[in-house]
Amino acid sequence: MSDTKDATLPPGIRRLHEGMARVWANPSGLGALTVVNHTSVGLRFMVTGAVFFLIGGLLAMLIRTQLAFPGNAFMSHETYNQVFSMHGTVMMFLFAIPILEGVAIYMIPKMIGARDLVCPRLSAFGYFCYLFGGIILTSSLVLEMAPSSGWFMYTPLSSGEYSPGLGSDFWLLGITFVEISALSAGVELVVSILRTRTEGMALHKMPLFAWYILAMALMIVVGFPPLILGSVLLELERAAGMPFFDVAGGGDPVLWAHLFWLFGHPEVYIIFLPGAGIVSTLLPVFARRPIVGYGWVVAAIVIMGFISFGLWVHHMFTLGIPQLALAFFSAASMLVAIPTGIQIFVWLATLWLGRPVMSLPMLWIVGFLVIFVLGGLTGVMLALVPFNWQVHDTHFVVAHMHYVLVGGMLFPLLAGLYYWLPLVSGRMPSERLGKWSFWLIFLGFNVTFLVMHWTGLLGMRRRVFTYDSAMGWDIYNLISSVGGFMMSAGVALLILDITLHFRFGRKAPQNPWNAGTLEWAMPKPPTPYNFVSLPRLETRHPLWDDPELPRTIAAGKHGLNTIEHGRRETWGSDALTGKLREVVHLPTNSWWPFFAALALAVVCICLLVKLYPLAGVATLVAVVFLLRWSWENGAHPKAAPDATVAPGQPPLHSRTMNGPGVWTMSVSHLANGSLYLSLLFGWFYLWTVAPEWQMPETSPLSLPLLAGAGLALTLGTAWLAKLVRRLRGHSDSGLGGGMYLVAGLGALQSALLGLVIWRAELAPSETAHDATLLVALAYVLIHALLGALLCLLQGLRVGYGFVGAEAPLEPVVVLRLWYYNLIVYWSLFVAVWVMPTLLGGAS
Amino acid sequence: MKRLLRMTHPIHLVVGPTLWGLWFVAIYAGLSVACSVSPPAPEQGTLTGINVAVGLATLATTVLLLGLSWAGVTAARRAELRRDCYFAFTSAGIHLFSAGATLFIGYPVVFLPPCI
Repeated sequence: MSDTKDATLPPGIRRLHEGMARVWANPSGLGALTVVNHTSVGLRFMVTGAVFFLIGGLLAMLIRTQLAFPGNAFMSHETYNQVFSMHGTVMMFLFAIPILEGVAIYMIPKMIGARDLVCPRLSAFGYFCYLFGGIILTSSLVLEMAPSSGWFMYTPLSSGEYSPGLGSDFWLLGITFVEISALSAGVELVVSILRTRTEGMALHKMPLFAWYILAMALMIVVGFPPLILGSVLLELERAAGMPFFDVAGGGDPVLWAHLFWLFGHPEVYIIFLPGAGIVSTLLPVFARRPIVGYGWVVAAIVIMGFISFGLWVHHMFTLGIPQLALAFFSAASMLVAIPTGIQIFVWLATLWLGRPVMSLPMLWIVGFLVIFVLGGLTGVMLALVPFNWQVHDTHFVVAHMHYVLVGGMLFPLLAGLYYWLPLVSGRMPSERLGKWSFWLIFLGFNVTFLVMHWTGLLGMRRRVFTYDSAMGWDIYNLISSVGGFMMSAGVALLILDITLHFRFGRKAPQNPWNAGTLEWAMPKPPTPYNFVSLPRLETRHPLWDDPELPRTIAAGKHGLNTIEHGRRETWGSDALTGKLREVVHLPTNSWWPFFAALALAVVCICLLVKLYPLAGVATLVAVVFLLRWSWENGAHPKAAPDATVAPGQPPLHSRTMNGPGVWTMSVSHLANGSLYLSLLFGWFYLWTVAPEWQMPETSPLSLPLLAGAGLALTLGTAWLAKLVRRLRGHSDSGLGGGMYLVAGLGALQSALLGLVIWRAELAPSETAHDATLLVALAYVLIHALLGALLCLLQGLRVGYGFVGAEAPLEPVVVLRLWYYNLIVYWSLFVAVWVMPTLLGGAS
Repeated sequence: MKRLLRMTHPIHLVVGPTLWGLWFVAIYAGLSVACSVSPPAPEQGTLTGINVAVGLATLATTVLLLGLSWAGVTAARRAELRRDCYFAFTSAGIHLFSAGATLFIGYPVVFLPPCI
């Protein structure tokens, strides 16, 4: 039982709690698969991420065992290649990102005073995609078919010729599947942070953690699509022979490096930012004063979010890029030290001006500061081109990377784990076991990786599987391996501590660390509805300014304190001011996310084993599940069984024209647009750089058909915009018919595009030109079909009374897709028809 | 729309880095394409059309960002609401950083030939 819900609560309030518990209940047994609540889904992400961390750690120990002695025959080189490729892959894709997403999914609503994230079914869907993708990927280890080309899968090493078998396919399909989860969380977190903060929480009063997660989520949304595109293209090359990265067919392997690092470098900051967010949250609590320079930190976060996208080429300094371009990226790489430095000085100033208390979470923060600063320094060294050339692909880089990632992510994560553990379990961790664990991990880490800098400077390449004693690397490798096992012992102790604390931990008080943020105003462990009433906040430290808040929230003295309507709901607020705008009604437990993810897992497996017709059927099934999921939305009785709101409250979001759904669609298009721009980049890159690129004399695409398809799209968009304008004027006359007409125009566009592709007689397995053109046309065709399908569904929903003048949101959301399609279509038309025609057919 | 143009709107937190990003993509892409299509002779050194174009783009972007930074400071001084003052000052700082970043990244055109 929580500390804020006691037997002395008045009967009316107790009934309110019981009603909330009924409406927000998580089913058990098989029904647990339907749970969509952010607390449960966040915990699932974290526990699954921890399991993958142990798998990745086990692989690391295998690597250190192999390298401990010269000439070691512990593993064959084939196995070693699989082990180190999977170590990096598991740690980067299945541990670091998902566990941080889990922390964000779990914490953000609690910190911004919301009851759940804005699209709970999307969270659940993302989790299942992550779980199934992770299982598919790691099963390759058991099947002894794991990828062996390294965690960044450079072509041509990972291409069909040099990596036959299914290893690369496991990576490409599994990672793409897992990335769906990251994008889901990214979109969801952005919209939730911007639109569901509690009343009065203006943007500049938001907890710093939310700023960090907002930046991380936006970076995921923009940064992950290039990798998804790269993975799709490489899988198409391997499965269908489309030569995107094959020089002989007009492709270029460097395109893969660009697409990978366009994702890969921002990913380092995507991992670091939540870690820094945890530090910025915890440090003021243990320094016992507000953070110094809130605005400086916000500025540093924004700068870091942008600059980190301008550094990707510093991973490619040895690929033969002109010196001037190298200088641009070298300078940009050095510049990123400035926002990092700002944050470090802010943290130091906060400690300096505060009265620090050295408790367990703080110990991990201190460890973070030491390790991360060292990693940052070697980062600046690596930004210098001549030094980078010198140590490229050596253990020096491996050591630097671990200092930045383990220091920047794992140490803050463990600080956060100890800090928020009482919230999750209601019990305090053991200081003694925790300190033992810290020192073993801290010392073990430094023994492993500090020494590795020397090994690297002595010339040991990062992927060698064994070495001769004459190289002089013996003692360094042995020390590193001893350190690695020391670190593992620390991790084992950490697991023991956390496991024991659930049973033996001392009961935690309401606010055990005397924190100022809102999550400590809720019951421990948290109820599925978080807060029974949602407070109005005007301060960055609500609990420091009003220590009575936990009691008044539990007593139902704040907003949204009724449940008779049977809806799950939270506030929808203005992104800037935190002023109330809507009551957001949230979906309840649902099977659709699970079914949709399961169908996509079947698609993934079928593609892996090359059962393409079955993959097609499974794709259709997944689409049907996703559309069925979308049916239970808006004014559907399952989404909002009762549309009445209390007097004085704002309307339900589905009864407005600018609900969070519009934001969700817009943020999704940031991701979609990033994928499209990566595709355009690929087209122009191959056109201008690939040595064997062949541009035909005349475009193979029919101008009348292309123009006709564009005309149908333009007319459809204009008509839909007109329908939405009418809805703004509270008129829904002709809405259903209009939707069918727009759907018809979308179908016409799709048919004409199909004809364009058919009549072009492309040879995608022969030239990169035709392959890229086909992918680009398929991209717009899929969007055209989606636009038509959604309008068809809207027409049906108008007939059922789910959409109309009283519930006008959905057409506004669909219009966003049509606008996007319009921009993409005509810009693609210019890129693939107008420009090649004007510039001539020369390569 | 008018609201977005005011220097006190939080959209300006990202305007500076966005302009920086557009400039960065433009100079890198421009350099790559120009070197691919018509690379100047190595003996020309730094005095090439490519370097001049990149240099001018760098200067123009720096001046624009400095102007925006100054506009942010002015708006912050005039702001009546604490929120407006906060966003204008923070945006001004970010604009200033973006201006510095533009100049720092672009200045190698002075001593490096473009396509070698």
